[in-house]
Amino acid sequence: MLSQTIVDFCRFTRAHGFGGGVLDTLEALESVRVVGGGDGTSFKHALRTSLCSSKDEWDAFDDLFDRFWNGTPGKKHQHQESGRDARGSRILAGLTGQAVAQSQNDGKAVSGASAYDRLVKTDFSEISGNDQSVLEKIAQRLFKQLNVRLSRRRKIVESRIQIDLRRTIRQSTGRGGELVDLRYKGKKPRPLRLVILLDVSGSMNLYSVFLLRFAHALQNRFMRTNTFMFSTRLVDITGALCSPDVTDALKALSEIRAAWAGGTKIGESLRTFNLLYGRKLLARDTLFIILSDGWDTGEPELLASELHTIKKRVRRLIWLNPLLGLEDYQPVTRAMAAALPYVDVFAPAHSLESLMNLERHICSMSS
Amino acid sequence: MAINPDALQDIEAVVQGFHKGGYVLDRALATSIYLLIKLNKPLLIEGHAGVGKTEVAKVLAAFLRTDLIRLQCYEGLDVSSAVYEWNYQKQLLAIRLQGDSDRPIEERVRHIFGPEFLLERPLLRSIRHESSPVLLIDEVDRADEAFEAFLLELLSDFQISIPEMGTIKAAHRPYVVLTSNRTRELTDALKRRCLYHWIDYPSREKEMEIVRTRLPGMDAELGTQAVGFVQAVRQMRLDKPPGVAETLDFVEALAVIGNGQLDARAVEETLGCISKSVEDISRIKAEGIEKLLYH
Repeated sequence: MLSQTIVDFCRFTRAHGFGGGVLDTLEALESVRVVGGGDGTSFKHALRTSLCSSKDEWDAFDDLFDRFWNGTPGKKHQHQESGRDARGSRILAGLTGQAVAQSQNDGKAVSGASAYDRLVKTDFSEISGNDQSVLEKIAQRLFKQLNVRLSRRRKIVESRIQIDLRRTIRQSTGRGGELVDLRYKGKKPRPLRLVILLDVSGSMNLYSVFLLRFAHALQNRFMRTNTFMFSTRLVDITGALCSPDVTDALKALSEIRAAWAGGTKIGESLRTFNLLYGRKLLARDTLFIILSDGWDTGEPELLASELHTIKKRVRRLIWLNPLLGLEDYQPVTRAMAAALPYVDVFAPAHSLESLMNLERHICSMSS
Repeated sequence: MAINPDALQDIEAVVQGFHKGGYVLDRALATSIYLLIKLNKPLLIEGHAGVGKTEVAKVLAAFLRTDLIRLQCYEGLDVSSAVYEWNYQKQLLAIRLQGDSDRPIEERVRHIFGPEFLLERPLLRSIRHESSPVLLIDEVDRADEAFEAFLLELLSDFQISIPEMGTIKAAHRPYVVLTSNRTRELTDALKRRCLYHWIDYPSREKEMEIVRTRLPGMDAELGTQAVGFVQAVRQMRLDKPPGVAETLDFVEALAVIGNGQLDARAVEETLGCISKSVEDISRIKAEGIEKLLYH
């Protein structure tokens, strides 16, 4: 009788976002049997250690357990929000419903670049169809360079060739142990992971479409790329950019209205990133690229601390700022000044030429 | 002589056993460990740095009176340093020595890929051990995904294939403890193979008990104040909040330096035990040591 209820409980946890399958249910049953009926707490502990497999699930467990075993059994299957789901849906709600109102409010508050400044920097908006194919080529080349020069981790640590003694000896037994042919080994090159965060707030308007194309090109040729765009909120656009045709991809993006235009909250967006994706995407083989002009309406302290977190975990943190293309530009906005200590490469991204330079930056640092 | 898992009576026995080993165990973690022993399933322990994840494996080995085999993971960890490696120098010598003999080549090959030329690394050692050892796979989040996939194979079948020799199956399945600092998400497949336990920072009472257990001769008053201070520091937003290990260092340092009384000056002098980053130390100072001490 009890086992039937335990099976029900396992299904209940799964309905609330827990992973796992039949094996976990069996494990839970086994655990309860081993622990023995005894007192209620070890029963709960046994179920928890068997069914959970991450901190999120661990934190959500108590609540689910209470609801199932002490709550109202009749309604249990109608609750569909676990802690994780609730967080997701809150963000999703923000993306759709509130977005319009918010962008209107924030739009006024943004200090942004003045109209004159914007006119000076329209270089990308005049890109012709011809240049676009050039851009594709550059992105392709960039990707190749990145792949070859940055992903050979062993090469960076120690450049000497290693002899594969195992194969060498095996080979040599047939020749009476004479080491005639040496076999070598190298680290299997592992593709670098790219994480791109693209600022699409109002002040970036003129660049964002072009830079999205750039991100699209990178992502389509580079297996391990995750792309996000943000203004006041962070949106994962990796899926939307997956389409091989750039027009389709941009169209899909234009339907995600939430992140477009409006103000900029870089710090908060980065915090969202760290919370939701940080542990999955940040690693020593990650190249983290932020494309933003650094006009931030949020707290610079928050930006600095979130960047610090990222910086500690990635290979390189690169900030591309289209405004750097201006001759007299100084990164003195509060956000930019707070961010600079954590940035490995601070480079312009206002034209094709500047992107070529980025490539040089990356290569010179990895050799 | 190793303890037979069947002889283990109940969860309380685990609590007592660990207490003898100097580890203060709550019922929840005791249940997980009890199940680890009884079901012989790997236990994945996650938690902040310094809350005693690694210690669980050490005390478990002492409790079961068996050996602890430890594999410290790091980025780039590969099979030759985790599982096995051939002893190349010895192989070369052997080839030289039998150079003039008239044994057929197949036999020579078989000879130099025999067991005496095999160097055991932790994982292989753990499954060839004569009685079930405790295998600690420490900071598994630091190894890469490829290695995780390999672990998966080991943890499900408890066997290792060596191309030149064949498959070695565990005579006695090791008790496996994995720890992770959550610097990256582990793959679902691996997590699903394991029991899971999250160790949080201890409550004030529990931390006091830990201090009492680990530092028996300590002045109780001093211990209480120090624990209170560390608990207050943990509430702050620090890059690296102090773990229990730091608390123990802190209390010991205070006992050596201070005059048995906890004051702001003594704390300031020993602040390096609690926090190991300049930023955090200045944050604590900015918050006011007095304030944290007598909150």
